[in-house]
Amino acid sequence: MWDALRQALDVSVFWEYRTVLLRGLAVNFYVFAGAAALALSIGLAAALLRVSRFRLLRWIGTVHVELFRNAPDYIMVVWVYFVLPLMIGSLLHQHFELDPFVSAVIALGFVYSGYFAETFRTGIEAVPLAHFEAGRSCGMSERLILWRIVLPQVVRRMLPESINQFISLFKATTIVSLIAVPDLMYQVSMITQQEMRPLPLYTGAALTYFAVILVASSALRALSERWRNKIYA
Amino acid sequence: MGNWQRLVWNQRDALMNGLVVTIHVCAIAFVLAVLGGLLLCLARMYVRPLRSVAIVLIEFFRATPILVQLLWVNYVWPPIFGWPDSFFAAAWTALAVQSSGYLAETFRSGIEAISKGQREAAFSVGMSPLLAFWRVVLPQVALSSAPSIVNQFTVIVKSSTLVSVITVQDLMYQSQKIVNIWYEPIEILTATAAIYIVFIYIVSTAGKLLADSLRRRYGIAAA
Repeated sequence: MWDALRQALDVSVFWEYRTVLLRGLAVNFYVFAGAAALALSIGLAAALLRVSRFRLLRWIGTVHVELFRNAPDYIMVVWVYFVLPLMIGSLLHQHFELDPFVSAVIALGFVYSGYFAETFRTGIEAVPLAHFEAGRSCGMSERLILWRIVLPQVVRRMLPESINQFISLFKATTIVSLIAVPDLMYQVSMITQQEMRPLPLYTGAALTYFAVILVASSALRALSERWRNKIYA
Repeated sequence: MGNWQRLVWNQRDALMNGLVVTIHVCAIAFVLAVLGGLLLCLARMYVRPLRSVAIVLIEFFRATPILVQLLWVNYVWPPIFGWPDSFFAAAWTALAVQSSGYLAETFRSGIEAISKGQREAAFSVGMSPLLAFWRVVLPQVALSSAPSIVNQFTVIVKSSTLVSVITVQDLMYQSQKIVNIWYEPIEILTATAAIYIVFIYIVSTAGKLLADSLRRRYGIAAA
């Protein structure tokens, strides 16, 4: 037991491969950035559909949210990587392939758009109706009301919750290693196969993610707190 | 439709077996996560010497991705602790460990939301701290955190798709096995995704109804 524990905490192997591993961690961040941008934009669109005046649009928005909020991210990643290109290919009548990185971004972006849509929606619904009326009575168009009155309030209100979702999204980026996107986890598995020393490598990976996520989440929370205080004051 | 019949309907036994394994893993993980979360939370709040250990554990469990934890538990724990002894055990341990961190924080916020006056009232009628916790604090915490507990179960089900990576034969594993036999992923993967989505939708809707009806019955307004 003690021998195994010492092996697990002897992270020299992990240090030896630091350049590869750091490059892997950077891939995690790229996937995260792409998926977050996609999730925010689709999430906002879905939220706007859900508060729309027309029943059909509201219904589409609801289906989108329920579909993606209830979908496990792993199956979505696999589906987008293996099934979507085949479907597009048969529509276009030609061979079509998706890069693993692109499919990972698409899948995670769509899955998390479901969560972000709900956050946006609660934010929009929390804006008092009088604000819309005031905007309209000044002669603002719907778009202008959305941009100048609603969204600034929504963004402030949804910050704390969206930080949690960004963190879940970052954690979810590890599963892209399973469709061979060369992220940190993928590199760790590759090095494990080469070195046959799973103990320090997997422990190192867990500690690395732990450190990154802990630091990022506390920094984000502190920043958003400061920003909110500054704006509300 | 021929493909759907051949690749999905004719494979229904394998898929059902997979779904049963999924439910089995999730059920064990969920029960352990609730118990573990409660223990971690109590250790953090009331047991001074264990406080910092509990905080580190909770933060570690919450801040590591489930895939990393799964592989870590699967490869690193057996040589150190001599356990888990099977992939199945590793799967539910990892899922339980992850969720217990989240639930510990849920329980803590539930306990902290209960006003101090209630505990003092319980002490003043002569209840021991244990009895006060059991009769006064715990029922209210259970009610107020019921929705989060239900939500955590759906998180466990979603994460459980990853146990196929360590060759636990759950629904995901079975469907990938079928893909690898025929190399025709469209129907089977779509069907698997649909099964998961419907299953999680049913579980979360049923759980929400249950939580709401409990709260209505025992007098806390549904949030």
